[in-house]
Amino acid sequence: MRRRQVIAAFAASAALSAPPILRAQTRFRLALTPVFLDNDARVIEQLRAALSEGTGQDIDLVQRRTYQEITGALLDGSVDAAWVCGYPFLQHKDQLSLLGVPVWRGRPLYRSYLIVSAGDAAERIEDLRGGMHAFSDPDSNSGFLVTASDLARMGETPDGFFSRTLFTWGHRNVVRAVAGGLVRSGSVDGYVWEALSVVEPDLVPRTRVIARSELLGFPPFAARTDRIGDADVAALQRALLGMNGTATGRAALDLLFLDRIAAPDLRLFDGIALRMAELGQDG
Amino acid sequence: MTRRTFSRIPITLRVALAMGGLMILLGLVASQQVLRSLSRLHDDRLREIARLHVGGLSVALGPLALHKDVWEIYDTLDRARTASDGQRMLFTVVADDRNRVLAASDPLRAPIDSDATRFSEDASDLAALTASGGAPQVRVRAPLLVAGRRVGQIVTEIDVGDLVAERRRVSLFLLLANAAATVLLACAGYVLVARMLKPVTLLTQHMDSAGGAPGRIPEAEIPESDTELARLLRRFNTMTGAIEARTEAERRLAERERFVSLGRLSSSLAHEINNPLGGLLNTADTIRTYAGRPEVVQSSAELLQRGLLHLKDVSRAILEENRLDRSGTPLRPSDFDDLKLLFEPEATRKAQSLDWTIRADGAALATLPAAPLRQIVLNLLLNASAAAPEGGRIGLDVTAQEDAIELAITDDGPGLGARDLDRLMSSVPVAPGGGVGLRLVHDLVAGLGGRIRHHREAGRTALVVRLPSGRA
Repeated sequence: MRRRQVIAAFAASAALSAPPILRAQTRFRLALTPVFLDNDARVIEQLRAALSEGTGQDIDLVQRRTYQEITGALLDGSVDAAWVCGYPFLQHKDQLSLLGVPVWRGRPLYRSYLIVSAGDAAERIEDLRGGMHAFSDPDSNSGFLVTASDLARMGETPDGFFSRTLFTWGHRNVVRAVAGGLVRSGSVDGYVWEALSVVEPDLVPRTRVIARSELLGFPPFAARTDRIGDADVAALQRALLGMNGTATGRAALDLLFLDRIAAPDLRLFDGIALRMAELGQDG
Repeated sequence: MTRRTFSRIPITLRVALAMGGLMILLGLVASQQVLRSLSRLHDDRLREIARLHVGGLSVALGPLALHKDVWEIYDTLDRARTASDGQRMLFTVVADDRNRVLAASDPLRAPIDSDATRFSEDASDLAALTASGGAPQVRVRAPLLVAGRRVGQIVTEIDVGDLVAERRRVSLFLLLANAAATVLLACAGYVLVARMLKPVTLLTQHMDSAGGAPGRIPEAEIPESDTELARLLRRFNTMTGAIEARTEAERRLAERERFVSLGRLSSSLAHEINNPLGGLLNTADTIRTYAGRPEVVQSSAELLQRGLLHLKDVSRAILEENRLDRSGTPLRPSDFDDLKLLFEPEATRKAQSLDWTIRADGAALATLPAAPLRQIVLNLLLNASAAAPEGGRIGLDVTAQEDAIELAITDDGPGLGARDLDRLMSSVPVAPGGGVGLRLVHDLVAGLGGRIRHHREAGRTALVVRLPSGRA
C-alpha cells in the first residue's frame, strides 16, 4: 500500500504544474519555452555554458511544461528573462521587451507547418475535416494560432472542424502524435520539424507537410520592460547578440541549427499580430 | 498371445524387466512433478513480470484516465514501450470507465474512442495469468483505480516468447535427463536383480542338465552367504543326492530281477533236470545188467548221450541267462531256442500249450542286442504264464518288419490290472508292494527306443513290443 501511495503521489505531482522553486536569487534565471529541441540535454547544457560564459555569471535554465507557466513566471519575476514564442510576447507586449531574435537559415523568420502521417492522402487543410488534430500549445503561434486563424478565415473553429483536438505541450510531441497515428494531423513549428528531421531521422519521415504558413517572426528572447536597464539583463542581451563570436556560443548555435541572435525588431511580429487580430485578439 | 510370450520369458529376465518398468514409471512420475513445479515457477515469474509492467503503468495512468488526458496517456505508453525493457510490452490500450479507448501504444490498432471490448474480453486478470498455453505473447488486463474508484482499465500484450522458449528448453532438458536417469536406473535394476537371481539361474541350469535329470550344483558355485537362495541350492543338492540314490537302488533291483526270473524257473528247471536223471540212471543199470549184450549197450549208450546232451543244453541256457556281461552280443535265433528251453518246462508244468513262432532271420535279429531282448521276452513270458490258467495258451510271435522287430506275447489270462499297466506302459513312480519285472521291461524297451502296445481281444491279452532296428 505504501509503495502505491508513493507512486500515486509522484504521478500526481508530475501531472500537475510544479510550483516555482523558491531559492536565493543569486543566479540569473533564463526560462525556456518548448519552442525548440527542448528534449535534448546536450543542447540545453551547451546553451547554458555559452550564456554563462557570455555573461560572466552562472545562468540557470528553467523549463516548464506550458508556455503559460513560462509567461507567468516571466511576468511575476520568478525568472529574469525567457525564450518565448512571438504569440505570448505580443499578448503581453505592454510589459515585455525584446532582447534578441534568433536567425535561422539567414533570416529571423520561420513558418508553421501543417503535417499528416506519411501515408495520408490529404493535400490541404480542407481534407482534414472530421479528423483528430494535435496542437502544440494554446499559446503557441506555429502550434496553434496559425491553424486556428486559417480555420477562422474558413469560418470554422478547431473544435468544430476537427472531431477532436488535443494539446501535446511540445512541437516534438506533435510530430510523435502524428507519426504514431494517435491523430491524423498536427500543427508544428517549421523550424523544429526541419531540425528534428536531421536529429531524429526515424521519426520525421513518418510525417508529411501539406501546408506551410507565410514567414513569421522567430520566437524571440524577452525580458520584463521594467528590468531592461538592469545590468544582468543587459549582460544577457550582450551575450546573446555576441554568441556567434565565441567558440562556445558557436557550438550552442550549431546544435540549435541557428546562425546567430540578431538585434530585436518589433516589426518581425506583424504577421503574428495580424493572425491574432483575425481571431479577435489584440495584437 | 502377448501374455503367453511374456510368461515364456525366464523369470530372471521378467523380474528385471518389471524392475525396469517400475523405474520408468518412477521416472515418469518424477518428470511430471518436476514439470509441474517448473510450470508453477514460470507462471509466478510471468505474473511478476506482468505485475511490474501493468502494476506500475496502471498506478501512473489512473489519474490520466480520470481526466481523459489522451496525450499524456499516449505519451506514457509510448515512452514505456521504448524504455529499456519496453521490448517486452508489445501493445497496450487504456480505456475509460465505459471501455472506450482513451489511447493505445498503437493508435492505428486501437483508435481513440473505439470500443476496447475486443481487446479486454479475452485478456487474463493478473492473478490468473499463465504461460501454459505456449503462446509467445499473453494479454493481461488490470483496472485503473483512483482513490478506490474504477476509472477505466488497461489491457496489455506482453511478449513472453523468451519465457516460453526457455520453458520448452528446460522441459526438454529435464525430460532427457530424466529419461537418461531412468534408463540408467532400469539398467542398474536389471543388473542388480539379475545378480540377485543368479542362484535361480544356476538352479534352472542344473535342473535341466544331463538330459532332463537334475545334476548336482558344485559347492563352489553356491553363494557363501546363508540366504534363502543358498539354502535352496543346498537343499536342491540334497534332493539330487536322494534321487541319485533311489535311481541306483532301482538299478540294483533291476539287476536282481534277472535272478528273480531264473528263481521263478528254478523248480521247473529242477524237474527238467531231475526227470531225465531217473531215466539215465535206469539206462546205466541196464548197461551194467546187460554188459554182455552189445546191441543193448549200444542203444543204452545212445539213450544216455541224448539225455546228457539235453542236460548240457539246459545248463548252458541257465548259464547263458545268468551271465552278467552280455552287453554287445547281438541277438541270434539260438537265443529264442534258449528261451524256449528255459520257459517250456514252466509251461509244461502248468499244462499250458505254447505257440512259438519266430518269423525273423538271423540278419534281422542281429540288429538288436541279445541281453535286453532275452530279459524282455523272458519277463513277459513268465508274466503271461502266471496270468494264464492251468491248461491255458501262451504265444510268442516274433516278426521282422522293414525297420523294426515286433514281439507279440499273448495269453488267455484275465488281462492286466491298472497297476500292472502303469508299471509297464508309463514312467509314473512304482507303487510299493509289487515286483519290478514289468517296470524293468518298460525301462529296457524305452532304452532301446521302442514302444509297447497293449490290447485285449476275444479273451486274449496281447502285449506288442516294437523295437526299431539298428540298436545292437
